[in-house]
Amino acid sequence: MTKGKATSRKIAIDPITRVEGHGKVTLHLDEQNRVKEARFHIVEFRGFESFVKGHPYWEAPLLVQRLCGICPVSHHLTAGKAIDQIVGIDPETLPETATKIRRLLHYAQVFQSHATHFFYLASPDLLFGTDAPLEKRNIMEVAVANRELALKGIQMRKFGQELIQAIAGKKIHGISVTPGGVHKGLTKAERQFFLDGKAVPSVDTMIKWSLEMVAFLKEYRNKNQVWLDTFAAFPSNHLGLVTADGALELYDGNFRVKDFEGKTIIDQEPDMRYQELFSEATEVWTYLKFPYLKSLGRDKGWSRVGPLARMNVCDHIPSPLAERERQYFKSLTDNKPSNSSMHTHLARMIEVLHCAEQMKVLLEDNTLDKGELVRQGVHRNLGIGVIEAPRGTLIHHYEVDDDGMITKCNLIVSTTHNNEPMNQAVKWVANNVLDGKPEITEALLNQVETAIRTFDPCLSCATHALGQMPLKISLFDADDKLLDERTRD
Amino acid sequence: MPKTEKEIEIVLDGKKVTCREGENLLKVAQANGVFIPALCYFDHVDPPLGTCRVCTVKVKGKYTAGCQVIAKEGLEVEVMTPELLDHRKAVVEMLFTEGNHICPLCEKSGKCVLQALGYEMGMETPRFPYTFPNREIDYKPKHIIMENHRCIQCKRCVEDVFTDEGRPVFYFQQRGKETFVAVDYEQEAKLSYEQAYRAMEICPVGTILLKEDTMEAPGFRKYDKVPISEKSPEEEAKQEVKQQVVNPAEVKKKVVATVSLSGCFGCHMSMLDMDLDLLDLIEVVSFNRSPFTDIKDFTQRCDVGLIEGGCCSDENVEVLRKFRESCDILVSVGACAINGNLPALRNWMPVEQTLREAYLETPTADSTALIPHHEDLPKILDKVYPCHEVVKIDYYIPGCPPGGDHIYKVVQNLLLGTNYEVPYEKFKYD
Repeated sequence: MTKGKATSRKIAIDPITRVEGHGKVTLHLDEQNRVKEARFHIVEFRGFESFVKGHPYWEAPLLVQRLCGICPVSHHLTAGKAIDQIVGIDPETLPETATKIRRLLHYAQVFQSHATHFFYLASPDLLFGTDAPLEKRNIMEVAVANRELALKGIQMRKFGQELIQAIAGKKIHGISVTPGGVHKGLTKAERQFFLDGKAVPSVDTMIKWSLEMVAFLKEYRNKNQVWLDTFAAFPSNHLGLVTADGALELYDGNFRVKDFEGKTIIDQEPDMRYQELFSEATEVWTYLKFPYLKSLGRDKGWSRVGPLARMNVCDHIPSPLAERERQYFKSLTDNKPSNSSMHTHLARMIEVLHCAEQMKVLLEDNTLDKGELVRQGVHRNLGIGVIEAPRGTLIHHYEVDDDGMITKCNLIVSTTHNNEPMNQAVKWVANNVLDGKPEITEALLNQVETAIRTFDPCLSCATHALGQMPLKISLFDADDKLLDERTRD
Repeated sequence: MPKTEKEIEIVLDGKKVTCREGENLLKVAQANGVFIPALCYFDHVDPPLGTCRVCTVKVKGKYTAGCQVIAKEGLEVEVMTPELLDHRKAVVEMLFTEGNHICPLCEKSGKCVLQALGYEMGMETPRFPYTFPNREIDYKPKHIIMENHRCIQCKRCVEDVFTDEGRPVFYFQQRGKETFVAVDYEQEAKLSYEQAYRAMEICPVGTILLKEDTMEAPGFRKYDKVPISEKSPEEEAKQEVKQQVVNPAEVKKKVVATVSLSGCFGCHMSMLDMDLDLLDLIEVVSFNRSPFTDIKDFTQRCDVGLIEGGCCSDENVEVLRKFRESCDILVSVGACAINGNLPALRNWMPVEQTLREAYLETPTADSTALIPHHEDLPKILDKVYPCHEVVKIDYYIPGCPPGGDHIYKVVQNLLLGTNYEVPYEKFKYD
């Protein structure tokens, strides 16, 4: 279909599959099949920033969680952190029990989201190879080929979802956050459900399985070292939240950015300063914006976010087993940041282990249904919440008038930060894999998607300004005439 | 007619019942285990308002509001005929489409009478098109906000909320379809917190809201588990849910396709909440075009297509039409596909405004700010359309999102004919 024609052309991968939401890739090739341009597009718009305005502030955590069905908890909590400030509460003054419940909810969310990504979406590429027949590359085939892995994956995801339901009433789009606190705590009986291993495998089993998965990926890396180290590897900055002593922090920390070699660009910047730190650029060809650090500008200021970036910016992980694995992970790159996109899978699984360890600590805490659940102070008009969502740094900003009406809303979601990195990854595959090939096969195109999938992009979130992500590739000729569209049929 | 002590007999659906002369029909029905739904009616407002018409019954072949019927000797009333059941359901559906009732973000969800009646009557989606009226939330009162998008003008608040001095707080303004409930700010400010709280309580929908978070966690609210009729359908349902075992070897594999249009992917995530059932399902079902597979275009005709999300761009419309062409049965899964849900919040503002606010007027926009427009980008539609307004939809699974086991059982039912009666607590709009 795309065999060595003597004209240039455009290929579209549309929709990108095995990602959450809807996006596409276009590749422009010249007469010699050299890649002239490669782009990753977000093709939907939903307009949350606009219609959140006019609503009362306490509706925000419910409204914005509908940005995304994979990580609704992240949006629910981030909006909650912002809305706390509207009622005069900061993270330090939030009741202790509320903080614990929110953290537990967040760990459950990151745990299930990472499990969903690895088992349901990414594992076929790793288990079967990117060039496996396309009918084979899905979770259903994984379940047939490796039933044990599938069973564990499904139950790990289920554990996180069940815990979310216990706290928020529903597995997806539940309600936990209220301004200045949480609606309910967790009783001993509710905690016991996750500890005794009767109805669902216990949290100890989760830790055990997480360790097995980390070991599986380490082993996989040993066997496929060159591919994993080099595929879609490119230098970038790395952005994430850390605690005051530099530990990995998912719920409430300060910004830290390191460059590709590990040089610190910003450190311990409070989340309230996000507007002074970041700007966003727009391009005509995608609905997704391009955030960057103002101090470095559009060309140099973009950063990766997510598990890889978090591993690269933090100094340690406050969970013993995960910290051991982090040290191994750092040893792969001589303690320098890793710029290998494929290493994100291992970084993600180390976070799964971290979340499992933290869930155990909190589930064994006898105070989760004790003490104050909600507190309020002097109302304010501005609230900014930042969190490390599964896919990276997530920023919510609300302004509210004296009557309680939201007058301004700005959202920078994790996948937006990864917009430039994903475009870089697509370019990498275009230049290093597709460039000059006499025939662009479906299997080659899948490598474009494999690169995108390492970022676990959530195109639902990314389309808050619009909503979904499957992949398409279009081929253009030298005059930019559409020659061919590969939707992988 | 004033209520007397005199005992009389009236006829409800051909059955004689005893009551006191002058008693309100709704009370008589209730006492005799017949549920006549009502929205505006409540006990001590006398005479009853008769505004909502949800309690419509037939007396001598003529439609009338049940709350306006007084018991007297020889009265014969039709209540539960199929025609009247459908008639009352239609009235409730009109109320849903006339305002903007987006359950997933409503404070009253789980406690709302309109919503509870939708559940009671098994409304999957209204038969009428949504009107998406442009209304404003009134933040000016001292204690409350008026979420006018949700007002059904039942008049309860107008007739039953007064200050200590006996002055009314709410009143109708304008006429005809312009009518809305206005607040006398001066009088409202005189209400105590308790009085304002009561105003919120008597509002059957989510219009009158205290200026604070009044959400409750799902699963614990008034109508989450118990229907408004208090008749639990569970008993009947339970008998027939005999687990039917489907032997994979005997069934030809059915083919399913799925797509997320303008949704949040939550319904797809909910499909994964089938958890281990997924392993059973794939014994008898294979997936064709779906974001869970790498099949980007249909490679064969499919038995069932599951649609998440409404239509917000020209591309959504194209994809939905393609699904209609390629699938025998099409199912709208979740609130966005069924009624547009949250994305439809933009339906009462110009699309230009939505785009401008998202791209040009954000605090972090830089000098490159523009509204994206490119041949590789789909065109945004003027508003978000429910799927059944674009193509024929065969079945609906409401919920935001519907639960994984619920989706699983409906799909099993459609493909393999296994019995499934939707239990009350699974049928939800949020």
